[in-house]
Amino acid sequence: MALLRKKSDFVGDTVQLEDVGLRYADGPEIFSNVSISIPQSSFYFLTGPSGAGKTSLLSLMYLAKRPTVGRLKLFGDDVTDAKRNRLPAIRRRLGVVFQDFRLLEHMTAFDNVALPLRIAQVGEATVEKNVTELLKWVGLEDSMQARPSFLSGGQQQRIAIARAVVHRPKLILADEPTGNVDDAIAIRLMQLFVELHKHGTSVILATHNEHLVSRFPFPRLHLKDGTVTAMPPAAQAP
Amino acid sequence: MIAFRSELPLKGETSAGFVVWLVMVLVFMASIAVTTNAYIGALLDHWNQSVTGTLTIQIPVMLDSKDPTSSAMTARVLDVLNRHPAVETAAAVPREKVTELLKPWFGTGEAVADLPLPVLVDVRLSTNDAAAINAVSTSVQTAAPGAVIDDHRAWLNRVIGLAEGLGAIALTTMVLVTIALGLTIVFATRASLAEFSQVIDVLHIVGAKDGYVAGQFARRALIQSMLGGIAGLLAYAPVLAFIAWLASRIEPGILPEISFPASHWIVLGALPIIAGLIATITANVTVRRALSLKV
Repeated sequence: MALLRKKSDFVGDTVQLEDVGLRYADGPEIFSNVSISIPQSSFYFLTGPSGAGKTSLLSLMYLAKRPTVGRLKLFGDDVTDAKRNRLPAIRRRLGVVFQDFRLLEHMTAFDNVALPLRIAQVGEATVEKNVTELLKWVGLEDSMQARPSFLSGGQQQRIAIARAVVHRPKLILADEPTGNVDDAIAIRLMQLFVELHKHGTSVILATHNEHLVSRFPFPRLHLKDGTVTAMPPAAQAP
Repeated sequence: MIAFRSELPLKGETSAGFVVWLVMVLVFMASIAVTTNAYIGALLDHWNQSVTGTLTIQIPVMLDSKDPTSSAMTARVLDVLNRHPAVETAAAVPREKVTELLKPWFGTGEAVADLPLPVLVDVRLSTNDAAAINAVSTSVQTAAPGAVIDDHRAWLNRVIGLAEGLGAIALTTMVLVTIALGLTIVFATRASLAEFSQVIDVLHIVGAKDGYVAGQFARRALIQSMLGGIAGLLAYAPVLAFIAWLASRIEPGILPEISFPASHWIVLGALPIIAGLIATITANVTVRRALSLKV
């Protein structure tokens, strides 16, 4: 499908954390000495108990926060102390699915999904084509002009996912992206992520859903007690 | 048709109506200041033109007879004046006209007829040169010792002093209005930044630059201020018309009839645009500064 990209587009590690620690103000450390390297075109589950810091770790990666200590590299660029004016270009290579969706309530589903394309000043004809195609793919072709508040939690989640992938990002950071949908839709949404991954997009997907983790053959980053442990896939490749 | 897309939910925004109303009041006040300034300027020009190049010579009655216009001293003064190269015209003011000027104070009775009124000589000069005016004064003093020569400068300088004071007040009002407008936009923009912080976060995360977000706030400030400015002008129009009507009822001798210069109307018409520009720049700078403090 048009959303996918060639593997040759990517060079080097997508995400690199070197001895990274994070704390809020004078509070305790959320995590420390985290060193991970996410190669290009990889797929990782990010698991761990509630409050372990999964969302905080993802927020470092989508540049909403900066590490308290350590170095952070995205797409080979050290962004630990990057100036603000460098961040938009980097963020346009990311797709983020928030746990609480963060849809813009005053916009229709279509406009929400179109947002990254319009910010990047993509032509309106391309916006129309890509957004329509994607909303059809996630089963929301009848709700394109609906405001998020008139849609169910599951539908809102699909809009959030569509917004995260519509601009064909190099890295998708998804925080519980299947938390509000039934298993059938969860599997369908996972297939979207898997298909993007197969065509070269890196995916880091934070989830509590053990069923999902055991169903797909992807390695895990397990966050517990402030440290990250790399774990092998829970499922065998088919 | 040009269509603006806004990612900020501006409809129903808390501070929107507040900004429009406040800008309306500020532009109303600015309009008063602009008109005051223009009126004072036009009044000064009028007075300046009326008295520049003129002298009034007063020949006291005790130096002359009861009907001094035909007297020797007056004749000597007029003779000196009419031969002087700096003098264009010189003529004694008829006693009837002097009596007429005094009518508001003394009436028309016999008391006025018996008053020992001085002779007034109106002189129009062909130059404004101070040396020439002094030469004329000297000649007159020689011809009629004791004559009082008034070049109106002392009177005009006092009036100019008063007018300049009023002009300074009008200018101060304009400066205060500009500061108030700037502060209004700063606080309204800060309130909106807090109100839409989540929307702004999303815009940043999908790759929006600070300038893009600032541009949306600036455009909103421009529209609100222009609306407020136009409303302020519309509210001012009947007030201006009313003041003009009140002024028209005053006798021309007390207050001359003044027509405003074109620049007055141009500045008045430009006030909403000026307010819009101030608001746009202020909102843009405020948002960029606030965002620069973020991660």
